[in-house]
Amino acid sequence: MRIEKNTSLLPEVKRGRKVQILIDGQPIEAFEGESVAAAMMAAGLRVFRITAKHKTPRGMYCGMGVCFECLVTVNGVRNVRACLTPVADGMMVETREEGMA
Amino acid sequence: MKEVHYELAVIGGGPAGIEAAITAAEAGVNTVLIDRYPRPGGQYYKELPMQFSVHHRTKAETEGDMLIRLLSGVELTQYFNTLVWGIFPKENDNRWLIALASNDAPKLIVADSVILATGAYDSPMPFPGWTLPGVISAGAALILLKTQRILPGTRVLVTGSGPLLLSVAAHLIEGGAEVVGVCEAARPFWRAIPYLPTILGQTHRIEEGIKYFSTILKAHSPYRIGWSVVEARGKDKVEEAVIARLDKSLSPVLSSKQVISVDTIVSGYGLVPNNYLSRMIGCKHSYLPEKGGFVPERDDTMQTSMPNVYVVGDAAGIGGAELARLEGRVAGVAVAGRLGRLGHATAQWEYGKLRSLLRRQQRFAEMLGKVFLRGLDLFNLSTDDTIICRCEEITRREIRSAVEMGARSVTEVKMLTRAGMGNCQGRMCELSVRNAVMAFTGQSFLDMDKGGAYSIRPPLEPMTVKELAKAAEELSE
Repeated sequence: MRIEKNTSLLPEVKRGRKVQILIDGQPIEAFEGESVAAAMMAAGLRVFRITAKHKTPRGMYCGMGVCFECLVTVNGVRNVRACLTPVADGMMVETREEGMA
Repeated sequence: MKEVHYELAVIGGGPAGIEAAITAAEAGVNTVLIDRYPRPGGQYYKELPMQFSVHHRTKAETEGDMLIRLLSGVELTQYFNTLVWGIFPKENDNRWLIALASNDAPKLIVADSVILATGAYDSPMPFPGWTLPGVISAGAALILLKTQRILPGTRVLVTGSGPLLLSVAAHLIEGGAEVVGVCEAARPFWRAIPYLPTILGQTHRIEEGIKYFSTILKAHSPYRIGWSVVEARGKDKVEEAVIARLDKSLSPVLSSKQVISVDTIVSGYGLVPNNYLSRMIGCKHSYLPEKGGFVPERDDTMQTSMPNVYVVGDAAGIGGAELARLEGRVAGVAVAGRLGRLGHATAQWEYGKLRSLLRRQQRFAEMLGKVFLRGLDLFNLSTDDTIICRCEEITRREIRSAVEMGARSVTEVKMLTRAGMGNCQGRMCELSVRNAVMAFTGQSFLDMDKGGAYSIRPPLEPMTVKELAKAAEELSE
């Protein structure tokens, strides 16, 4: 969910241009300046990948590129950290790719 | 080999690194500042995305803006979006080779001095269910809230230790989330009593704390002292949080357990110094839990046991942004002084000025370290079924088996189980594996050089074979 209110801790912002990205083929709304992880969280999507060994779901954890839990496939490139990747119009993101090198 | 030479390389462009770079460059030191992220500021002064605009800025945002503006007015080289993947001693030379991965920076830099300002990351805190989507670190929550204006969840439990919890909870509430509780794991606040004069001297921090706390009270979010999350439950994502009171040994009191329905758990159990570069270089480290774990040993000028290698800010022990900025200035003065760019008298005068400011911040950091807890203090919240190494999906039971097979160090556990061999290169599991080895072998202390920490080798982050081959090609030219 995006914060639209204007408060003292979180003054209102004007986001970047509205774009659309595809998560596993499903379009979601995003704004330029957002990370793929942020856009997914805003859309209520929590599962970013499925682990190789026990096939368990994982999502965003550290948010700053350290933990590698938010790995997704972006435009065919595997193992991309969603938290460090800015959105771009028409970007194709896949989350359910299994396995990691 | 194409190498570009600088007198000083500052690695990390947060509060500590920016101050170090400004101080040295203003004195005329030929300086390069390198940062992994697209823009300066680090995590603390992380700016809003370039595409966002805002009419009003918060106090911290203004402070960061001012520092970054200062940086842009100084003559020095800056590379962002640039990963330092290795630092090596130059043969027969007292200089350092720094290997970079980036689109615009050279592949290799030679520097006479290195200031590491690589910051810290959230302390991983393994508890049953902590790998479920929806369990996020305090840092991740603040990045979403402050720099993306996105609410990480609608029904949120904030759990951990330290003043950061208040900030996270207050931001969540203002953003529109229901904070179903704040669990502060630490109890003996009396440990703060000897530090009262120090605390009372930090009026701006008291004001901030009161502001956050009143927001939490107004929202009727229960603030529980001596409590922690003990389990996250859910199918594909977190649906319930189990919280419990902690006893004196920091184990959950089973009879106190409560189940709360949530969609998000924010876990903020302190920070861990990002010490991988100082370890790769071979600087001596000591274990200081109140500073977040293994920290480099330093002299008064922030120099480590390796000549001309300095570490400043949270990378050298958790102390916060204000301390980090002062340490950065001290190291900047030291480098400039050594190169003769500041007269001896000027350097001494600068030191004198900084030292009294430093002492105050150091004492405040020491208080926080003594009063509050970190992930490494709460090993008892994991069970044998808890995943310890998130990347390789290694449970505590598997580490116990490795110890039963004879493993006596984290490096031996790594060889037997693959814990620490995944993408994060051990950053998420190292201190927990160390705790597990100590618990299962009955050792009370495990030093870094006795196998208490993983050995750090380049590349510092996973790189594709293609990227490495390209780097090797350019290096051999």
